[in-house]
Amino acid sequence: MPRVLILGGARTPFVRAGTEFADLDVLDLARAATSEALARTELDPGQVDEVIFGNVARPVAYHNLAREVVLSLSMPTRIPAFTVGLACASACVAITSAADHIAGGNADVVIAGGSESLTNVPLTLTPRLARGLIAASQAKSLPAKARSLADVRASDIAPVAPGIRETSTGLTMGESAERMAAMNAVSREDQDAWALRSHRLAAAGWDDGRLAREVGPVYLDGHAVTADNHIRRDSTPEKLASLRPVFDREHGTITAGNASPLTDGAAAVVLASEARARALGLEALAAVRSYAYAAVDPADQLLIAPAYAIPIALGRAGLTLDDIDLFEMHEAFAAQVLSTLAVLEQNGVGRVPVEKLNVMGGSIALGHPFGATGARIVLTLANEMRRRGARYGLATACAAGGNGAAIILERAA
Amino acid sequence: MIAPPPAEKLVEVERSRRPSVTFVPADASGVARIVIDRPDDPVNAIDVRMMEDFAAAIAAARAAAPRGLVIASGKKNQYVAGADLSLLRGGTSQSDIEKASRSMQRVLNDLAALPFVTVAAINGPALGGGLEIALACDTRIAADAPNVRVGLTETRLGLIPAAGGTQRLPRLIGLPRALDLILTARQLAPKRALRAGVIDEVVHPAVLLRAAIDHAGRDPKRKPRGGATVVERAATHFAPARAFALRQARSRTLAETKSRYPAPLAAINAVAIGLAKGMDAGLDVEARSFGDLAVGETGHSLTALVMLTLRQRKAALEGLGKPRPIANVGIVGLGFMGSGIAQVAAASGFRVRGRDRDAAAVAKGLSTIRTLTADAAKKGVFERREAARITERVTGGPDLVGFRSADLVIEAVFEDIATKRRVIAELEQVLRPEAVIASNTSALPIAEIAREARSPERIVGMHFFSPVHKMPLIEVIRPAGAAADAVATAVAAAIAMGKTAIVVGDGPGFYTTRVLSTMIGEAFTLLSEGDSIEAIDRAMTEFGWPVGPLQLVDEVGLEVAGHAGETVAKARGIAAPTIVNALVAEGFKGKHKGGGFYRYDGRRRTPNPRVRELLGAPTHPAAGDIAERLTLTFVNEAVRCLDEGVLRSPAEGDLGAVLGLGFPPFLGGPFRYADAQRHRIVTALERLAAARGDRLAPTESLRSRRPFFTL
Repeated sequence: MPRVLILGGARTPFVRAGTEFADLDVLDLARAATSEALARTELDPGQVDEVIFGNVARPVAYHNLAREVVLSLSMPTRIPAFTVGLACASACVAITSAADHIAGGNADVVIAGGSESLTNVPLTLTPRLARGLIAASQAKSLPAKARSLADVRASDIAPVAPGIRETSTGLTMGESAERMAAMNAVSREDQDAWALRSHRLAAAGWDDGRLAREVGPVYLDGHAVTADNHIRRDSTPEKLASLRPVFDREHGTITAGNASPLTDGAAAVVLASEARARALGLEALAAVRSYAYAAVDPADQLLIAPAYAIPIALGRAGLTLDDIDLFEMHEAFAAQVLSTLAVLEQNGVGRVPVEKLNVMGGSIALGHPFGATGARIVLTLANEMRRRGARYGLATACAAGGNGAAIILERAA
Repeated sequence: MIAPPPAEKLVEVERSRRPSVTFVPADASGVARIVIDRPDDPVNAIDVRMMEDFAAAIAAARAAAPRGLVIASGKKNQYVAGADLSLLRGGTSQSDIEKASRSMQRVLNDLAALPFVTVAAINGPALGGGLEIALACDTRIAADAPNVRVGLTETRLGLIPAAGGTQRLPRLIGLPRALDLILTARQLAPKRALRAGVIDEVVHPAVLLRAAIDHAGRDPKRKPRGGATVVERAATHFAPARAFALRQARSRTLAETKSRYPAPLAAINAVAIGLAKGMDAGLDVEARSFGDLAVGETGHSLTALVMLTLRQRKAALEGLGKPRPIANVGIVGLGFMGSGIAQVAAASGFRVRGRDRDAAAVAKGLSTIRTLTADAAKKGVFERREAARITERVTGGPDLVGFRSADLVIEAVFEDIATKRRVIAELEQVLRPEAVIASNTSALPIAEIAREARSPERIVGMHFFSPVHKMPLIEVIRPAGAAADAVATAVAAAIAMGKTAIVVGDGPGFYTTRVLSTMIGEAFTLLSEGDSIEAIDRAMTEFGWPVGPLQLVDEVGLEVAGHAGETVAKARGIAAPTIVNALVAEGFKGKHKGGGFYRYDGRRRTPNPRVRELLGAPTHPAAGDIAERLTLTFVNEAVRCLDEGVLRSPAEGDLGAVLGLGFPPFLGGPFRYADAQRHRIVTALERLAAARGDRLAPTESLRSRRPFFTL
């Protein structure tokens, strides 16, 4: 089976929703990441066989974001493209789908990524208002139109913001994460310490230029946005301790400080078969060794599934946790990361050495554009593995619905 | 009317075998067709023969009395591109030309007078006479295809529409819009033509014929109303309102053309008389004016220029090797010129990767590109979606990432040899061996720029003119050591960008900057002799130059102009004028940089008194024809460029001068002018040399009286 290589990639700066990217939409960001990924890998767009993008909040106009990327970048129109969704692991699905297509001999070069713009989240109408408006548009006379809207009440007029509430449990993600923290005895102090660590390491990663290298500028209105804007260099344990819990005001531990923020951004990774990479004379950052998805009962520990995906991926790769040199774990909440580490130990999978985990910070500091994070962690992992000469790396992401993804990379050469 | 003459290898016998226009009887729908398909001509250019065939087809249609009639082209993606210009070549008499116009008017009158509905199915360019045919129909439908254009383009050739266009267009879309279209010679894309009222429906190309037949089956005979709104109709048919509109048009035209170009005024006249006295009177004036203009010098000059431009699309590549394929273009330097070049490249379909020193500079360049494209979209040059796509085709970064896949890289950095050499060195680390590097320099010899390069054979010059999206010329510079394929690649890129390319030798100032700097240098001499700034500039604009030389220096910028002037003067072994450096030293650097030869206050412009102070007292009092002296300096230097082999041909010399430098088009260019008035020019130059200096002496080839153009 052809070996699947990661040639490279790029991401946009990740910025808090509603700030510097407020006037851009999910396609603008996806396009910026993709064109930068193409430029950095020096890949002729004519070589691309497929484009796959992950995206959670789907604007109606961009229901197939990946194809819009192909068309708006004037890439050859013969390139098929589709968009995938697995909540915060959407880009993982994009990447593993791409890997499968290449491994199966059905593609040689695939661009896989993710993009999210929470600034223009689609708002929906209440059912009564929606029905009324459609009936009114179909009515032939003015009195008939007016009659169609007679049932609509004042309370129906406010738009419905999409909630991040699990359909099956009725709990928001934060409420579920509080439960995880309690079940795994993860203290407030530990969570704040993890958040502080995320910010500190992210700042260091920017300062020494490592993170800058994978970020391409986004140009708008005559100026350039070049850096992530959520990283707090002035964070202290006291400041974090002073924040109030947001999901459980009485007894909770999760605050805005130890959770990942709502973020806009995009990331794209270029995957290729070994044969094609050689033919084009292109070097690779890493290879995809194995992957796994797992799922758990959302009513139990909603965000724990990576702890179950990891051993499957390790088994498929013929490796143990001790073989892994570097880890990238999506930080939905500090509580979730710490819970995952505890459960891995509990289940006998092994102990993750903290000094090898999220070495340049994580989603808490860098930001978490839902659909893009899966591509960020793979890209960052691959880049840092190359820098360290690491042999094996592991990237994981939890997702709403009780899903989890784990992807194992190995050294390219 | 912009169709080049058909291929020389045409055999007369071939042409006589089948008619250019055929009548196809009605099918089950009851709608008949007239199909235009001129043998051995890809663009259906109109000639006498075609008009005769058309008349016969119309007669056949009348006899057949179908329910409706579609006028279509038998060629794929081509309607009727206008009259065959070879008909207007020197030798045809004025009365013959007038007769041809009248006979075409008659044929189209017959078409318009048919008792059943007529529909034009426009599937390609319908320009000049082609649009006039469509205007004689009741309804016009166009295909929504990229090459479809409609327009009355005759004034570009120094002519006016000759087959009823001056009469039918105003009656269809109203006087103001019709005048605008005729005087600007604009070519409208289908959607824009629809909005202007010139065509009635835009359909997908595959549906064109069916839609035309549908219209022919059910539309009523049309009586054009002279405009879509009450105001437009008033301006067309209500005499006082019309008089006002005509007065405006006339005064604007006079101001722009300075009575050097008779065609626009003749067009206004034909329109006016037709609306005042009836169509027959208008047609009569139209035919007489057309004959008059066609044999005049201006008409000949402008037509010759258009034909040279069309021919140059292929001629530019002659003797140059095979162009390499270009899909990706890299631009180094996204300043004013770089972003303009990037925008044109993207608009032409290339993927563009830009580079500047940091992300902020790239952001500014990309913003300029977006603004240029949005402005063009507002003017209707692009549809909104296409404009977005063009902007999205350009990406950029603060380094050379993305340049490995570039097929052609244009550097538009600061005009300094050291900077350019550094850019070349950096590029050479990254580019593929087949990639061509083109320097956008206005005066630095390419051989100098390429001196330390590892592979100088792929380095050429592409001198763009500003503003890039407007100026139609690119001067491609061919250094002695350049590979023929590399030069061909640059030329092909220029042509793909919709520009006219000339190929010149590598030397100080190449062709355009050298000739212009020499002329400007002579203007400085006039200044020091005592002529005033205003007198010099006014003399030149009245002569027909778009801008006076001193105002031009202000607009180009004194540092750039001074540098070019020094480079050229040094190469010719004459002293460089010092006035520019003196002004720069005092902070006068140009129009937006403190003023120069003029001081600028809002929109007002006054001569800078400091100039006279710096030059000192006049040496010789003002006397003589300023415009003659400067224009002939230009001509003389242009001829030197041809003699020295900097120019390949007089044709490229004329194109470069008119399209790049604003040499008065009514003269056709320096070489055409030299041919037309050789004796007067040589005598004048000899007189000037005796009075003002040897530099003005006419070149040997001018004195020889050998014409530059044969035929």
